[in-house]
Order: sequence, then C-alpha cells, then structure tokens
Amino acid sequence: MTGTRNLLPKVTTIIMAFILLFLPACGNEEIPPSSQIDTYTIADSIGDWGYPSPYAHYFRGPGYVRMSFIFETLVWKNATEFVPQLANEWSYKEGDNSYTFKLQENVKWHDGTEFTADDVVFTYEYTEDYPYQWVDNSIVESVEALDKYTVKLYLSKPYAPFFQDVAGAQPILPKHIWENVTVPEEFLELEAVIGTGPYIFADYSKEHGTYLYQANDSYYLGTPAVKEIRFVKVTAEMNPAALEEGSVNSASIEAEVVTEMESAGFTVITDRPSWNAKLTINHQKEPLSSKEFRQALAYAIDRESLVQIVLRGNGVAGSPGLMPPTSVWYNPDTPQYAYDPGKAQQLIEGLGYNRLDNGYFARDGHLLKLSLIAAADYKDLGQFITQQLEQVGIDIDFQTLEAKTVDSKVGAWEFDLSIYGHGGLYEPSILERVILDESFNSARYSTNNELTQLLNEQLTEMDTTKRKDMVFQIQELYAEDVPALTLYYPTSYFAHDGSIQLYYTMDGIAIGMPIPLNRMCFVQ
Amino acid sequence: MSIKRNLITYSIAFLIILLLNFILPRMMPGDPLMAIYGDEALVAMTPDLKSHLIERFALDKPLWQQFGAYISALFQGNLGWSYYYNASVSKVILGSLPWTLLVVGSSLVLSTFLGIVLGIESGWRRGSKTDRAMLTGLMSLNGFPDFFLGLVLLIVFGVLLGIAPLSGALTPYSGLSGMSLVLDVLRHMALPVAALTIAHLAGGYLITRNTMITVLKAPFMLTARAKGLSQRVLKYRHAGRNSMLPVITMTGIWLGRIVTGALFVELVFAYPGVGQLTYQALLSRDYPVIQGVFLMVAISVLIANFAVDLLYPKLDPRISYAH
Repeated sequence: MTGTRNLLPKVTTIIMAFILLFLPACGNEEIPPSSQIDTYTIADSIGDWGYPSPYAHYFRGPGYVRMSFIFETLVWKNATEFVPQLANEWSYKEGDNSYTFKLQENVKWHDGTEFTADDVVFTYEYTEDYPYQWVDNSIVESVEALDKYTVKLYLSKPYAPFFQDVAGAQPILPKHIWENVTVPEEFLELEAVIGTGPYIFADYSKEHGTYLYQANDSYYLGTPAVKEIRFVKVTAEMNPAALEEGSVNSASIEAEVVTEMESAGFTVITDRPSWNAKLTINHQKEPLSSKEFRQALAYAIDRESLVQIVLRGNGVAGSPGLMPPTSVWYNPDTPQYAYDPGKAQQLIEGLGYNRLDNGYFARDGHLLKLSLIAAADYKDLGQFITQQLEQVGIDIDFQTLEAKTVDSKVGAWEFDLSIYGHGGLYEPSILERVILDESFNSARYSTNNELTQLLNEQLTEMDTTKRKDMVFQIQELYAEDVPALTLYYPTSYFAHDGSIQLYYTMDGIAIGMPIPLNRMCFVQ
Repeated sequence: MSIKRNLITYSIAFLIILLLNFILPRMMPGDPLMAIYGDEALVAMTPDLKSHLIERFALDKPLWQQFGAYISALFQGNLGWSYYYNASVSKVILGSLPWTLLVVGSSLVLSTFLGIVLGIESGWRRGSKTDRAMLTGLMSLNGFPDFFLGLVLLIVFGVLLGIAPLSGALTPYSGLSGMSLVLDVLRHMALPVAALTIAHLAGGYLITRNTMITVLKAPFMLTARAKGLSQRVLKYRHAGRNSMLPVITMTGIWLGRIVTGALFVELVFAYPGVGQLTYQALLSRDYPVIQGVFLMVAISVLIANFAVDLLYPKLDPRISYAH
C-alpha cells in the first residue's frame, strides 16, 4: 500500500540517492525498437503474487498483472482508449440491453486448441458458479453464442462501467480445460495457465518470488517484442542500483532518486493519481453530524502544506469531491475549502461554541474534544492533522492503533475521526462504492437523497455526456456535505531503460490497477 | 536431577503458549472470524464458507469446546489456512524455512565458533595489545544492529564494488546446475551470513573472554601448569572448555530465535526466508501466518532451552551434582 512507509526504507532510500550521485552514469545502449529483445527483466519488491492462473493469483493488482500476460479479455485498454482484444468488434443494443461481440477468428490457445465463442459462453457461466474475485459478473444475466465467432451478453440492467469492470477485466478461460475443474483455487497444474495471450507461462517460484514467460510466436495481434520476460524480486531500495548495473530493465523507484535516474539515462514515468488518503468522519455523532462542523474541519486542514510536509512534495492535495484534479471526470467547480482557519473558527462559533482562555472551544461547559484513531502507517499524517485542528481550537486525542482494530472501531462507528486510504479513483463507479457501501472502508453516507440517487443513476446512464454531468454534480454535493475528506493523492514513479516503451493504462489495467505493465507494451 | 521434572515444566510452558495463541485472536475487537483470517477473509468470504468456518472452529460453541477443536486441528499438523496465499499455513512456512535455516544456521555456527576462539585467545593474552585491539574492535561492532551491518555490506560490496548480488538467494533463471548452482547460492548468502555473524560475534567473544579470565585464576589451572602441559592443551582443553558454558547458554537462546533471527537481514537482502514471510504477513495482515510463525518460534525456543538443559551436565558434571 502506498501509505506504508517506515523508517528503514526511508533511510535506505536517502543513502541510496546519495550514493547514486557518485556513481558513474552508465548510458543505456540504444536498442532498435523493431528487433525482438532476448530478455526483459522487471523488478518487484514483494516478488510472490501467486501462481498466475485466474483463480490462484493473490487478490492484489500485481497478481492480476502476472496473470494478464497469459490470459486475455474480450476488450482491453491502451494508454488512451478501449481496444479490440479477443473481440474485434462490438455493439450495444439498448432495446434488449445486450452487447454483441464479434470474436477474432485466428486465435489459438497455448496448447493449440482453437478459441471459439463456446469458450466465452463457458467463462461467463463458469464464473457464475465459481466467482472470479476481481470481476463482479452478477450484472450479466445470460450469454449465448450466435455462431462460432459471435457472442451476445444480456445485462440485467444498463451498466455504464461494463467494459471497465467486466468485459475488459474478465479473463477468458479455455472450456476444454476448465469444464471439469471443481475447485479452481486448487487447480495448480500446467493446464491452469493455458491462455491466449502474447506470452506463455514457463516458470513460477513462490519462495524466490520469480516468474518466467516465453513469447507466444503465433500470437494473433502481432509479434511479442521480447523472447523472455522475467519478474524478479529486488528490495525497493536496491531498485536504482539494479537498474544501473543492468540486471533489471524496469522497476518502481522512490521520488528521491527520480532526478538521478533520469540523468543516468532512464525514462521515469508517473501515473495520474488514483489513490487517496482520507479523513473518515463519524457523521452520525454530535457535533460531527453537522455539515457546518465538517466544513470547518475542511477549512482547518491545510492540504497543500500537508503534501509538502508529509509526502515531501510527492503528491497532489486532496479535492473534497474525491475525484483527483487530473481525472477526466474531475469537476473544476467542486468546492475546495482553501485553508482558512479563521473561517473554520467562525463556523464552529456559529454552532454555539465559545473559545476558552486556553484556546479550546467549549459549549455548555463541555470542551470540544475529538478522538482521532489511525493505523501506525498514518502516524505522520495523524500528527499533522492533530496539530492543525488544535490550532483552530479543537482538542484532539490522537492514537495509533493496530490496523485491524481501527477498521473494526470505524466499522462499529466507535470513533470520531480516523484516517483511511484506498485506490481505484479512475472510473466513477468507485464513487457509489466508497460513499454508499455499508463497510468500514466507505463513508456510509446515504442521508443526502439527491446524492444517493445520483450515485445509483450514474451507474446505469449509458450516455457518457449525461453521465459526466451526474458525476460532476455528485462531486459538488459530496464536497458540500463533507462526509469524509480526501487529504492527498500520492505520486508514484516507475523507471525503465527504454528498450520497451512502457505506459500507464487509461483508468488502470482492467478494473483500475495503476501498474505500467500492460501486456500490449510487450507486443509489436 | 530428573529429565522427567524438566519435561513437565516444558509441557506446562507449551500449554500456556498454545492457550495464548488460541485466545489472542479471539480477544481482538470485532468478528473473531475476521481476526482469525485477516483482511483476505473479507474478500473471500461467502455465506457458505462463513458457516463452514464457524463450524470448523466451533465459533458458535463455548470457549472450551473451541479450544478442543483448535488443539485437535493442531495435532493433525493443521496450523490454519492463509487466505492471502490460498494455501495451508504449514505449507507456506515450510517453503521459506530451509532458506532461513541455511543463513541463520551458518551464521550461528560461524559466530559461535569464532566467538569462542577469539575469546579464548583474547582472554589468554589479557592486557596485551592484541587483546585490547580485539576488545575495542569487537565492542564497537557489538553496538551495530545486524540489518545496519547488512546495509553497509550491501552498499559496499553490492552497489559500489559490484562483486556481490543485490538481492535474493540465487540468480533467477540463470540455467545453473550442480556445482555452479551451489556456488551461486553461496555467493548470495555470503553477505547476509557475514552481517549476522559479525553482529553476533561480539556477544560470544565477550562472554568467553570474561569467563576465560576468571578460569585462568582457578587453582586447577595452576595444577595443570605444574604438570608441565603444553600451552595449547592448557589454553583449549583446560581453560577453554571451562569457559564455554555461558556461551552455550547464549547460543541456546539464539537457537530459539533461529526462525525469525534474521528478519531484518532477510528484508535488507530480499532473502526468501521466514523473516521475509513474517514481514509480508504483517503488511497484508495475514493473521494465520503470523500465528503460525509465532507458534513455531515459541516451540523452537522451548526445544532449544531443553537441549541446553540436556547438554549442560555433559559439559560441566558439577551441574548434575548440584541437584
């Protein structure tokens, strides 16, 4: 998680950055982009993300990415748009609320069997019995094969993020292999990693956290750009050194070494932010149930200097409308609550509070005192917020607790303020989940009927312009009510040697994974 | 002195550990099922699975029945199921264990052996220049934590000189086999082993040296000298052997931590051991794995202490007379 930072990596990174300054910059040899590269090595600090079959990889983005080199979806995304994959044409019929996909005709599974519409039908039926954890297929009511290369999917209701959440995320399984598998999680044979993708599974080591893929020379959408792709495990702090010595071609890096890596000839790329840390507010409890009080909190916290201090400048200040300013769905008219402690105090006074001699507010003889709980990951952030709220006159009792304890306390509404982070701020379908859902990681705010209605309706609005209008209104209403306050969006960096042009996928890989390892980067 | 009484003491300790391991997750706030299975369960949990798990752990039964279910599962070698890895906890831990044993075991042997030899030599020459140099050098090394030494070694030999690998236990997909594979593994373990050895060397050295100085004053040393024994025999067989007892205790304590003793060093070198596994389990809140590791550590501490208790009378017969 991006929020996880402790002292050891920080110190190491700074030492490494210092050392890199003194290392001779070794220029990268230019490799002509048209020829096939022998090996391409990608560093990862965790390494093991599970056996790369759809049912065995771990429930984390990098697990999906390792699977996605082998298994493909009906449609896929590049840096800017949805592109054909196993389906080369599609159409939506409003009348019966269905999508018709015309499939590619020259596709073979890695074992040589032909890919047909039966595989697609099978996949959607199989996942009904054995749900694939990344994709919620419940919106698909039925599937039928019109002929050998045409499938029709009927949806139970119009669903705007259908490509993002379903068609572009659901890996298609070979029927001839999976039809007899009844415990897919424990199906760890070689057949479990037979797909249609540009790369063929060659090896996986759980202990060493390594993966090996070989080019699928009969790939239908072009030639694989690399003969052999390797994922190896390198600690995050050693990534710059591993890049410099040439043992890896790409790796994520810390902000502190960006300049050094660029001057050493590496390309550093960064994604539009999609992860946010937010202040969770118990809006069911006095005085936090008052909208004005929550707005006062927003005015009291200087999110701009928070980015400078807590993130050392590597991030973007939070927008109270949740969507990051860099998003295409961002509404520039969202109320921003620019830092204004005076305004915050005014709002609090308006609720009947008076300032005491010690600087704190009180009402009816009771001191204005709030608790703030957070996991140890957010210690710096928590201290910053405590200091800012104390400044306007709120007595804050800040405690770091074990993460699980924080979650259950927040889940049971046993808190005043808390800090939480989540990703996925790409496709606006996330808004409905993180505002209305009943779990601890959502704002659980359904008291504003207009907002609730818009959140539900935007999901079924198939007209993009109309949907965008709705998402804009949602941001304004949400920011007006402040049921939770987005504090910042951190920036992450990925360095590569340029032998393969890596890019961040539009709205993230599949349902929104901010990882620049789109399999199509590795196809010519 | 009875081994039987010893066994009873250890069994009681073992039971208390089991009880703690059982009760802790159930005391955490919120749903005990969540506490037992961590974050992943939230994702993987269907109503069917939930009722199955409640039944398996007898979570709807009184606490003592739950404990019965827990113990019976444990004695079948079932440490629980990790939803993160989608595998049984024992399998997950066993996969990482050999690498930890390799690194920690090697450094344990090296640091104990070197500590004893240097301690004997230093104590024998008490007050000399060699003694003072060794004492100062090792005392200052004693202050550094193992991961810091690891980091320094890694930066010097891995990054600046480029003669040691930056991470891992072997070169992935190098196609090596036989002798060259062994050499590759040795090359990868050199720095982690060196870091651990240096960090723990000083402890054994200081204790041996101290005991050595006391032993040298003992009357039996005078007798041995009077017998005209050679320097070597005096130093190692008479004084040395009698100086080893405290080091054995210390090594015993260390041996107990063999499973997690290299946690930080494993992180620095991305070495695929139990320490790495524990860290990852903490990050992903994989409680079943954390508990499994905890239980293993507790058991190995017990076994190591027990082994030391057995070994003592052999090294120093006076201990059995004392009872």
